[in-house]
Amino acid sequence: MTSSPTPAPDSTTWIATQPRNRRRRGPLARFIRKPLGVAAAVLLLLGVVASFAPSLLTSIDPQAADFANVLSGPTAAHWLGTDSLGRDILSRIIYGTGPALLGVLIAVGVAALVAIPAGLAAAMFRPVDAVVTRLNDLVMSIPGIIVLLMVLALSGSMNWAMVAVGLLTAPGLVRVVRSSAATVTEEPYIAAARVFGVGKWKIAFRHVLPRIAGPILVNVSLIAANALVTAAGLNFLGLGLTPPTPSWGGLVADGAAVMNQQPWTLVPSGGVIAITVIAFVLLGDAIRDVTAEGWTAGRSKGASITRATTVPATSSDDAVIESADALLRVRDLSIAFPDADGSARSVVQSVSFDIGAGEAVGIVGESGCGKTITGLGVLGMLPGGARVVSGSIQLDGVELLELSPRERAAVRGKTIAFVSQEPMTALDPLFTVGYQISQAVRVHTGASRKRAAARTLELLEQVRIVDPKRVARSYPHEISGGMAQRVSIAIALAGAPRLLIADEPTTALDVTVQAEIVALLRTLQEETGLAVMLISHDLGVVSALCERAVVMYAGQAVERAPVGELMSTPLHPYSAGLLSANPHFATPGSRLQTIPGSVPPPDKWPVSCHFADRCALATEACRVGPIPLVAVAPGRASRCVRVDALQTEGVAR
Amino acid sequence: MTETGLLLDVADLVVRFRGRRGKQVTALSGVDLTIREGETVGLVGESGSGKSTLGNAVLGLAPVASGTITFAGEDISHARNRQRRRLSRDLQAVFQNPYGSLNPTRTIGSTLAEPMHEQGRFGRAEIQRRIREVLDQVGMPADSAQRYPSEFSGGQRQRIAIARALVLSPRLIICDEPVSALDLSIQAQVLNLLGDLKRELGVSLLFISHDLAVVRYIADSIVVLKHGEIVERGPAAQVYDNPQAEYTQRLLAAAPAPVTHVPFESR
Ligand SMILES: Nc1ncnc2c1ncn2[C@@H]1O[C@H](COP(=O)(O)OP(=O)(O)OP(=O)(O)O)[C@@H](O)[C@H]1O
Ligand code: SF4
Ligand SMILES: [Mg+2]
Repeated sequence: MTSSPTPAPDSTTWIATQPRNRRRRGPLARFIRKPLGVAAAVLLLLGVVASFAPSLLTSIDPQAADFANVLSGPTAAHWLGTDSLGRDILSRIIYGTGPALLGVLIAVGVAALVAIPAGLAAAMFRPVDAVVTRLNDLVMSIPGIIVLLMVLALSGSMNWAMVAVGLLTAPGLVRVVRSSAATVTEEPYIAAARVFGVGKWKIAFRHVLPRIAGPILVNVSLIAANALVTAAGLNFLGLGLTPPTPSWGGLVADGAAVMNQQPWTLVPSGGVIAITVIAFVLLGDAIRDVTAEGWTAGRSKGASITRATTVPATSSDDAVIESADALLRVRDLSIAFPDADGSARSVVQSVSFDIGAGEAVGIVGESGCGKTITGLGVLGMLPGGARVVSGSIQLDGVELLELSPRERAAVRGKTIAFVSQEPMTALDPLFTVGYQISQAVRVHTGASRKRAAARTLELLEQVRIVDPKRVARSYPHEISGGMAQRVSIAIALAGAPRLLIADEPTTALDVTVQAEIVALLRTLQEETGLAVMLISHDLGVVSALCERAVVMYAGQAVERAPVGELMSTPLHPYSAGLLSANPHFATPGSRLQTIPGSVPPPDKWPVSCHFADRCALATEACRVGPIPLVAVAPGRASRCVRVDALQTEGVAR
Repeated sequence: MTETGLLLDVADLVVRFRGRRGKQVTALSGVDLTIREGETVGLVGESGSGKSTLGNAVLGLAPVASGTITFAGEDISHARNRQRRRLSRDLQAVFQNPYGSLNPTRTIGSTLAEPMHEQGRFGRAEIQRRIREVLDQVGMPADSAQRYPSEFSGGQRQRIAIARALVLSPRLIICDEPVSALDLSIQAQVLNLLGDLKRELGVSLLFISHDLAVVRYIADSIVVLKHGEIVERGPAAQVYDNPQAEYTQRLLAAAPAPVTHVPFESR
């Protein structure tokens, strides 16, 4: 089987698989773009020069006493002034750099050499873990200063003291390495490497270490800063390096002694220590960022939309929508995220739909199509600087987008409630389930503690929990995932809402539990007249609960239809593609119909049909301009100019 | 499928983990399973039923308490590094999470080269050639080798993970929920790819999934696992269309199946 045959996947299946294009710079080029990191590096390089060739930086002898100019303050001859013996402070700082940096190097080296292997070993080998953790705790409980004094007393050498500093600070680094490595070792790629027979140490250094370089670098830079300050402290006390040998800590001590006569002398000596500490930290940060940027895609952080860009109007929705007395009426809703450069990146474009009182409507589509953002937009809880750029959201005839944040918050929970995919994250692990439900009841209804407790049990019964009293006393970790989802539905029902937005409420659950939750939502809908907006990628779940569905693709609603009709005769090539890709309908052994490629990221969406690159029916007409969503049959709308062709030819060819 | 030799034979396998407070948790109690050359066996069950544990035990990632695992006539129940390294030529894996299954700090090329480096008998040029070959097999452009995982979508990463499993031309691939994290249209692409590989390379698959429809589509036979024990096994069509065990019936009834779709071709 060495000359393996090559199954040439048919070309239609694999087009549009080009990875996202992004130019990559080398590590040095990336580093240069970090001004703070560069400044820190230049400073520390200067320090290295000062260590090896101090005479290159100053011609003044650090021991030369100029008795005519004691405690002079900065002058043309002595840029940073002189000390109480008239010695040049700048020269003494420069000559003191070598010992200071050597000490840091020793401490950091020792800490890293001890802590990184120990932390990795603890994360990867169970028996080692116990030993390392014990030792770590032991070292942490040793009073550091006493050890340092003993080492100095016995060896009299600053270098040995710095070895001790390294050993004493290692436990912190061991913890960082151990805990971050433990998380990484859970990842499947580590398992894959083990399957190849890669040895544990090789895995540790090749696959785990690079991943945790960030936290390690940050910790190491803190160790460096700490070592520098500790060394200065010892020298300040006159330990280790004894006068007249210049040392930074000794300079501070000199300055402190004459503080009242010439306060200036403290400035350069304290300053150089402070600046070096800052340089260590900044350099650590910069190197961490540069290493991470090597393999992560750039992402904007904390940006906000500054340059208001109007979203290309995708023409307003002229398909007449369902009911005149809808509970929720969403019109031309467009939502955008801020990009790194301050422009708006629209992720939901001109979406319209209605949900009648007591009706269940599904929002379906693949990952990244904007389903969740649409739901959060209705709820008024958009993440990460996203905002509604245009459109209207009416609830019972009231325009939600005109409400103040406070009024909006009042609507949330009371009229509109939300249930998310991960039930456990919605629950606070520190409080009992009952407490959390009763809190929600009290916030929404202002009920007394006693009334709220009674209502809590009612709600638990309503979500079909068999032993409500016991469950109310449980903590979240004591209940199963399905039970947790019931509880979070109970919390959502606390304010007696009229609309429930459920975002993938069953995706994280087992199939049997999934079916139970869908059944529960259906019962609630029938019993309480609750309207449901069900967001899901699973047409099966949607068809089990909803009367109508909105199919979303790349930020737009591309089809709206009663669920049964959508499934039997989809009127948009994307809906049709989704259905034929479903293995439920496939004959085993035959090839599945696929939609080639994948959903493009928002910045690649064309103005014309968003689906055109993946569509088998695409023609020139699809690429000229925005495609409107138009009524194509009673109660049905599609955003496709070739609906006729779809009906006659189908998408499967 | 041709009737050829037995490839994997799992006999009376017991796997125990050390749980919280030192309590022993039995994840598999006495499981038997065989896979023939070229056969695809689907393994279904709810979360916690022991599906992944079974796959992991075969791969040496879960501790075997008792019982034997025989692969191509060789007892691998307790295989360690050196034996694993040799074994990895014939026995490979694809895992569920497309985001965690590739090392984000290494290029695709170096990820694909690693298995060959470990074997220590491939030359530089040969490794490059083979990387291009497997990338092509899974439908990825050749220049993907210089890129990092963060530049690819979930479906593309899963294809790369499959490419890594193919690099040594294995005889059996353990696929642990390989499409569960993927969107429907991408899932279909990956299922087609696995189907092609199965047909054209004759590779055997142990296909682990909670989704019965997917398993029935890809597998020749189905094994149903519940609480670490096998409750039903048989040819895929038989288990799917005519389930005997009450548990299997429940699993099938629960799976939300879209009901009314008439595919275009059949109209
Ligand atoms: N916090 C955020 N910052 C920037 N972009 C975001 C953020 N959250 C979502 N997006 C972008 O908005 C678009 C729509 O995302 P959304 O979460 O609504 O998709 P979805 O349809 O719910 O997908 P899924 O099925 O994966 O949940 C995506 O392109 C996504 O990358
Ligand atoms: S408008 Fe054209 S490209 Fe878009 S879905 Fe319809 S046929 Fe396909
Ligand atoms: Mg979502």
